Amino acid sequence: MDLDSALWPKDVQRCSFPKFMIGITVVTLVLIWGVYAALLCWFKGLNQTNMNDYYGFALWIWADLAIIGLGGGAFFTGFLRYLVKKDELKNIINYAVLIGFICYSSAQLILGIDVGQPLRGWFIFWHANVHSMLTEVAFCLSCYFVVLCIEYIPLILENRQLDKEPFFHHLSHNMHGIMAIFAATGAFLSCFHQGSLGGVSGVLFGRPFGFREGIFIWPWTFFLFTWSAAACGPCFTILVTKLTETISKKQLVKPDVIDLLAKISGWMMFTYIIAKTVDTWYWALYTAPSKGFNWAFFYSDNAFYGPWILWLEIVICGYIPAMLLITKKTRQKNATLWTAIILASIGVCVNRWALVLQVMAPPVLPFDTWALYIPSWQEVATTILPIAYGVILIMISYRYLPIFPQERELNPITN
Amino acid sequence: MENNHKKGKTKKFGMVIDLDKCTGCGSCMVACMSENNVPFKADETDKRLSITWMLVYKFNNGKAHPNYDECYLPRPCMQCEGDHGHSPCVSVCPAVATDYSHETGIVSQIYTRCFGCRYCMAACPYHARYFNWWDPAWPADMEKYLSPNVSPRMRGIVEKCGFCFHRYQLATDKAYYEGRDELEEGEYQTACTQACPAGAIIFGDLNNPEHMVHKIAQPDAKHHGRPKNPNAFRLLERLGTNPKVYYLSSRKWVRDSGDNYRPDEK
Amino acid sequence: MKIDRRSFLALSIGSTAGIHLTPLPWKLMDDSSIWTQNWPWTPVPKDGAANYVNSVCGLCPAGCGILVRKIDNRAVKIEGLPGHPVNDGRICGLGLSGLQMLYGGTRVKTPLKRTGERGAGQWRKISWRKAIEEISNTLIEQRKSGNPQALGAICSSDQGTTSQLLSRFLNVYGSPNFLRTPSVQSSYEMANALMNGSPKAVGFDLENADYILSFGSGLLDGWVSPVRMIRAHSIWQDEKVPVVQIEPRMSHTAAKADKWIAIKPGANAVLALGMAYVIIKEKLYDKRFIEKHSLGFESWKDEKGRPHKGFKQSVIENYTPVKVSAITGIDEAIIIQLAKDFAGAALPIALCGSGDGTAPGSLNEMAAIHALNALKGAINKKGGVWAVPSPDYILWPELEMDETASKGIQTERFDGAGGKKYAQARSLLNRLPEVINASSESPLQSLLVYNANPMYTMADSIAVKEAFAKIPLIVSFSPYMDETASYSDYILPNHTYLERYEDSATPFGFTQPLISLAKPVVKPLFNTKHTGDVIIKLAQVMGDQIAKAFPWKDYLTCLKTTMGDKWKTLVKQGYIVDKNHKAPDWAKGFETASKKFEFAAKAVNTDPKSDVIAPSELKPADLEGDAKAFPLVLIPYDTMRLASGFIGTPPFVVKTVGDDVLKANDSCVDINPQTAEEFGLTEGDKAMLTTPKSEVRVRAHLSEGILPGLIALPRGLGHSAYDKFLAGKGINFNALHAPKADPISGLDTTWGVRAKISKA
Repeated sequence: MDLDSALWPKDVQRCSFPKFMIGITVVTLVLIWGVYAALLCWFKGLNQTNMNDYYGFALWIWADLAIIGLGGGAFFTGFLRYLVKKDELKNIINYAVLIGFICYSSAQLILGIDVGQPLRGWFIFWHANVHSMLTEVAFCLSCYFVVLCIEYIPLILENRQLDKEPFFHHLSHNMHGIMAIFAATGAFLSCFHQGSLGGVSGVLFGRPFGFREGIFIWPWTFFLFTWSAAACGPCFTILVTKLTETISKKQLVKPDVIDLLAKISGWMMFTYIIAKTVDTWYWALYTAPSKGFNWAFFYSDNAFYGPWILWLEIVICGYIPAMLLITKKTRQKNATLWTAIILASIGVCVNRWALVLQVMAPPVLPFDTWALYIPSWQEVATTILPIAYGVILIMISYRYLPIFPQERELNPITN
Repeated sequence: MENNHKKGKTKKFGMVIDLDKCTGCGSCMVACMSENNVPFKADETDKRLSITWMLVYKFNNGKAHPNYDECYLPRPCMQCEGDHGHSPCVSVCPAVATDYSHETGIVSQIYTRCFGCRYCMAACPYHARYFNWWDPAWPADMEKYLSPNVSPRMRGIVEKCGFCFHRYQLATDKAYYEGRDELEEGEYQTACTQACPAGAIIFGDLNNPEHMVHKIAQPDAKHHGRPKNPNAFRLLERLGTNPKVYYLSSRKWVRDSGDNYRPDEK
Repeated sequence: MKIDRRSFLALSIGSTAGIHLTPLPWKLMDDSSIWTQNWPWTPVPKDGAANYVNSVCGLCPAGCGILVRKIDNRAVKIEGLPGHPVNDGRICGLGLSGLQMLYGGTRVKTPLKRTGERGAGQWRKISWRKAIEEISNTLIEQRKSGNPQALGAICSSDQGTTSQLLSRFLNVYGSPNFLRTPSVQSSYEMANALMNGSPKAVGFDLENADYILSFGSGLLDGWVSPVRMIRAHSIWQDEKVPVVQIEPRMSHTAAKADKWIAIKPGANAVLALGMAYVIIKEKLYDKRFIEKHSLGFESWKDEKGRPHKGFKQSVIENYTPVKVSAITGIDEAIIIQLAKDFAGAALPIALCGSGDGTAPGSLNEMAAIHALNALKGAINKKGGVWAVPSPDYILWPELEMDETASKGIQTERFDGAGGKKYAQARSLLNRLPEVINASSESPLQSLLVYNANPMYTMADSIAVKEAFAKIPLIVSFSPYMDETASYSDYILPNHTYLERYEDSATPFGFTQPLISLAKPVVKPLFNTKHTGDVIIKLAQVMGDQIAKAFPWKDYLTCLKTTMGDKWKTLVKQGYIVDKNHKAPDWAKGFETASKKFEFAAKAVNTDPKSDVIAPSELKPADLEGDAKAFPLVLIPYDTMRLASGFIGTPPFVVKTVGDDVLKANDSCVDINPQTAEEFGLTEGDKAMLTTPKSEVRVRAHLSEGILPGLIALPRGLGHSAYDKFLAGKGINFNALHAPKADPISGLDTTWGVRAKISKA
């Protein structure tokens, strides 16, 4: 018996404690590297980055938008599970919540490094400007994070030892009972902050590459972001699940659960990418020209910000995964399912990239020049930091918490 | 905010910069730096890390000799009004650290409020906003020349030109003590206006038909202040930022460089 | 009470929740942000009573009036002085940054004596008394050995009481070797001496001219009196006065001009005479002036009956548009049109002196352009070039010279100025390295340097250093640790211009006689001393006739006595100007033997075959270097954003320098895209630039604003002295070329050097 086996969920097998600790140590080293970089940024200031006055929004903001997009699986799976009553999804919801929790806590950490005066960060609440998309982001993001905590806590309480405590047992049980309310709240909040993240560049009427018309105060990107998060987030949940399965060398979720989520994602993606296509079309044909720009100008200066980005985002990481996921045959074939979920996850990242970093690159003043940017190691390290943190949290959670309700059934212990 | 919007009393301070007269000497930039306690560092050649509230751009007509021509264009903060004060930067600031004053038309920046998210910088198409990537430092005895009228900015926040707003405060204080309600045209002038050897910068109240800025630019109130003077133009007029800095040039290619035009429009 | 696991957990959760209900975390949160708003390392300037002091800028010779804003005892802002005749409230970037010089890290805070090798930066503090005593001992020694002429002084000006005190000290000591840093002023004075008959300074009545023809003068790039020139430009804009700029590179002046005529470098004189050809041929010249007030226009016979070719004939024979076009690279039609435009204007003026006007240029060129003005009578006329009376307020008692002094002062100047070869010259600082390096023992044994930084500003840096190394005693009066101060034996730091009284006379180029007074804006910050006081003290320590020549208690007494009843006005207003001054009319304005303007000034011309200033042989000035090995020509250029004189550029101004001029620590050179392609260079490429003197690393900046075959390098960079905000940035043009003495004037004529460039 292993040192910590008393903490494992009932009737499951885990790797040996030393092996687990070696894994944890390796990832922790990466984490420490990231923490060191973060401390440099806090104590020495943002001169540690390669950002500048043209590239004030850079790698971090992209990472923020991307991980929140990817973390969208939590709210959308919750929405499907509790509100649409897709009951099968209870077998993956825990993991979706955990991934969401990691993504959102990481996003907040990165924001804490990204702002020039982290100690004044709370001004965003105290001196809130209701017109600012970022205010909306901050409020919804923080509230939704609380929701995620509430969703994650019962899972922690289900640890074999904690669960022995009647108080925790009942608390967990009762919390499960009211989870639908939180899921609904979460879905509502998520719609808004995913949307307002989309609005971040969409409202910049001084930046014709990012600017979009819209309805009332919301630019089209507002809706597209929510939509794409709902579409691609679950793909990322599936991706991480599949990765976990590969690493732990066992099946953790039944294929029908994955299939259901993948199918819904597929249709979401399909509709999203059509909307995105229309949006891009409209922008290229009307929005940009009305400000004096030929759309091709924005892809004209350098190979990096070339038209390939459009192809990658819309066709390769848009239509292709959508088609792969809505087609039953490809969805149920392992190789094509993998391809689809990887492409979909990349797709949402590329989309966020284009709407943050690419917005900063083209000149707006006719006599100005293009701005290109390469992140410093400190930026890269602090961006990898949450990944390391996420891996650690997943390792611990997986080892000690009953995240996958179907694990026992799928992997009976034969003595 | 809106309460102060009394007709007749509200000012709309603006500038007219005569590009025919501007020689690109850079005096306005230095006047601004020395008036506003702008810091400096050992290497200022990376212009995207160099704080210059007032910046003189140099650009050319893209032609070969002998048709080659150059122009110099000083760029302070445009103090955009947008649509009813909805300027690109003010609307995005999450903490109201920058605000549009309907009383003066000046976009303010509260350094102690700003927490350095830089959203406003992303929003500003003129790159008029600058971030303090470093702690400001004044070596040797240079702290002694710092003006008490402008607070030095700490690291981690955004700063920009505010039309030397402290000079407005000093001038109105003086007028108040002298029992006057209104300022004379020359009483409130920005540091760059005052220094410009060419006299190329003219500053005043665009709402006041007696003021030179109004007479020269002839802002068209029906069209968001678009200039009626055929030689006047504003930068990036088509974006709808509604800036309060007007430029004059007798050269068409210079006026055309003030905005973007599609190839099929040219 | 038994603490079991359950109660422990309950307690932990309870207390965590509880603490958040107390004010503590919220208070901490608030306090931490208040702390960020008051970081102790971000200064908070002290408030106090605001007051203003008027004074004069001392950072360049333009003499702009300044108004300094103070808070209590701190100077916080320099502004232009409203109403001042030169700048009327306007001010340039350099002038605005004066406080960075005052409070900056390059100040010499106390007298210093060198302890290590020259230039090694090892110093010992020394008291004023001791320093003056040691220097006087050396000077007394030197004088005793019968070599008083071995004392030299370098000074940016020969006007004003401090310079005059220094000059007086040299005289009574017995040395003729007072050296003024050369500039186009020297050339103008010489042209005046030869053609107008007196070596007077000139003034340019630019504000009233109606056609401006500038032969490479950087009117908007720092020429002579930058703020005044820019103000004049605005007048020209308002009055639609045409401005034509002739130069191979588009400077700011050219960019703002109505016409930029890209000429091959070094061909200005040829173009001017080519224009003269057209004006003469078409009889467009001012007949009254030419016929009544000039000599040598028509051919003439001398007393012995020998015929001499006049200016007219000489020009007609030699300067046909075809020939001129071939040399200048300018179309014939343009030359003809240019001449017609110039001649067609009522009050045209032609200007000379390239860049910021610190390069004297060739006397030929100066004379040709002066002659062009003469053709239109634009001399001593509204809108033209005026002879300006020398300031007359310094009236000190006649010197009593002892025998040593009388003998010493009679010796020939070491630089040859006023001697056989360079009879017209008054001072030839540029010849210093050549003369000293050619002799085994330096003719100068002691050198005083005031308001000058020759180690930086003089051409051929290596030769200059070699020469200075041979001078046993160098004393610098610089308030700043500049290149020359760093290389001296003693630094006797002067107060900066914001800490001292100092008068300045009519600045070069100004038409109205003007006296300005600088006064202490703040009390001296450090243990510095007015150079005037140091000279008086030094003289007094040396005793005898030398002491007697300086009867004043101190500099201030000297200045007050000198100014007499003008003092009060000067203190109050800051300046005294004669606004009604007019140019002398043609009948009285020329002091030549003929009382006329003389085209016949043969001394100006190097051509033995010509009797007038127009040489019979057409050629652009030649250049150092072999054309085969060095296929390109490197020319310097000036910009308002870099100070290239004895004052280093302060941090604020360096900050305004574009990244197409300075990138990191590399100077950028302008190069035509066509030439760049030939040499395999693209925008921003690092490149090796080689001249016969040196090889340096630069970056290429491609520009259509420069003729092919040329490379242009900004002046004012490449300092080794000053602080990290200036030192080590870019290349000093002076390190890349050698001076070339004009055969007549002896002044440096270089306008470029042959070069090659390759990708680094």
